[in-house]
Amino acid sequence: MLNRFIRYIQRYKGWFGGAAVICLFLGLYTGLLASPADYYQGELVRIMYVHVPLAHTSTLAYSVLFFGSIWYLWKRDPLVDNMCQASAGICALFTALALITGSIWAKPTWNTWWTWDPRLVSFSVLLLILGGYLMLRKLVDDPERGGRYAAILAIVGGIDLPIIKFSVEWWRTLHQPMSFSTRGVAISDDILVPLTLMSIGAWLLFAYMVMVRTQILYLSNLLQAKKGRLFSQTHFSQTSP
Amino acid sequence: MTGLYTRWAIIVGGLLLLAMMTNQQYQRDLSTLSLATVLNSPGTSEPVRIQGMVKSGTLSGDVEQGQATFELIDGPTTLPVEYAGPPLENIRELKTMVLIGQLDKATKTFKAQDTALINNFEFVAAAYLLTVISLCWVLFAMSQRVMVLFKEIKDEKLYEPESDPLAKQE
Repeated sequence: MLNRFIRYIQRYKGWFGGAAVICLFLGLYTGLLASPADYYQGELVRIMYVHVPLAHTSTLAYSVLFFGSIWYLWKRDPLVDNMCQASAGICALFTALALITGSIWAKPTWNTWWTWDPRLVSFSVLLLILGGYLMLRKLVDDPERGGRYAAILAIVGGIDLPIIKFSVEWWRTLHQPMSFSTRGVAISDDILVPLTLMSIGAWLLFAYMVMVRTQILYLSNLLQAKKGRLFSQTHFSQTSP
Repeated sequence: MTGLYTRWAIIVGGLLLLAMMTNQQYQRDLSTLSLATVLNSPGTSEPVRIQGMVKSGTLSGDVEQGQATFELIDGPTTLPVEYAGPPLENIRELKTMVLIGQLDKATKTFKAQDTALINNFEFVAAAYLLTVISLCWVLFAMSQRVMVLFKEIKDEKLYEPESDPLAKQE
């Protein structure tokens, strides 16, 4: 079922890419030019328009990896495995960028590049888990076994997601509390518009990137299999009497 | 490949246009002049923004009523300031401030009418450039890789049916 869904949605890859570009351009325009500076943060609030969407998208990407890994262990579908691998790489990129942009914002605001804050630490742990996932896939010779081990790691690492989400409520922290919760939206409209546009753009971009990367992995595997078959054919014809 | 490069030329062009517009707005609304530049300028009626630190022991006047005199320092340059405007909420000695006003060439005093936040725009630019360049670079590499793979598949004639070596042997 998931396999068919991935194949179906791949047809609309270009639409996702196009919509992402439009949303991101509108988001960049409103974020950099049209929206006013914040009363307390001044111009620095503009960093939020890239940092927050990157952070949201990286947790979305890890959720895709988490549920995809469960599905893969259940059905052993190689296309879902490709999608998981694609999500992991892109998630690592988004997580690293979210951490770096957060650090750039923290320097003039908190007067430090880094602090051992629960949100920052749990987010860095996510990057370490993703690094481990990608290394595991590279280091294990048998791709199927590597995929299985990596899926188990991704599922175990999923425990970090609720920790990231609720760290600002569970512990005393420097990081801002949740802006979107059951208590309502704690952001003014001036900030909400560019933030929403950039967030939708980042989600669409992630969807597009996953589709392209899944396609790359699928095509690479196809080529490798063909080359392997050609090699065994040649080997067979040379060794047979 | 031509389609890919055309698409990317449009995206990069759009980004450059956005960067130029942002820079223009920054120069118009946010950038500050150094004290030395203001002192050496011929002086205009247009208000300018200057940034410097309030020199210790020079602050006097009624800041709550929006009247104050002090000296602003920026490296080796010192500039006397006469402020008359909205009440200054959090002015203190050794605080870095952005002031908006004009230089009185006759008295070499800066007549300030308002204050502004320190813009810290270099941090904003760094965050945006890093994000946009990284994402564009990764996306471009991915798009190129798909093209290369399609070409390899075409060259390998992957879509053609393969002969069965066992059948050949029989």
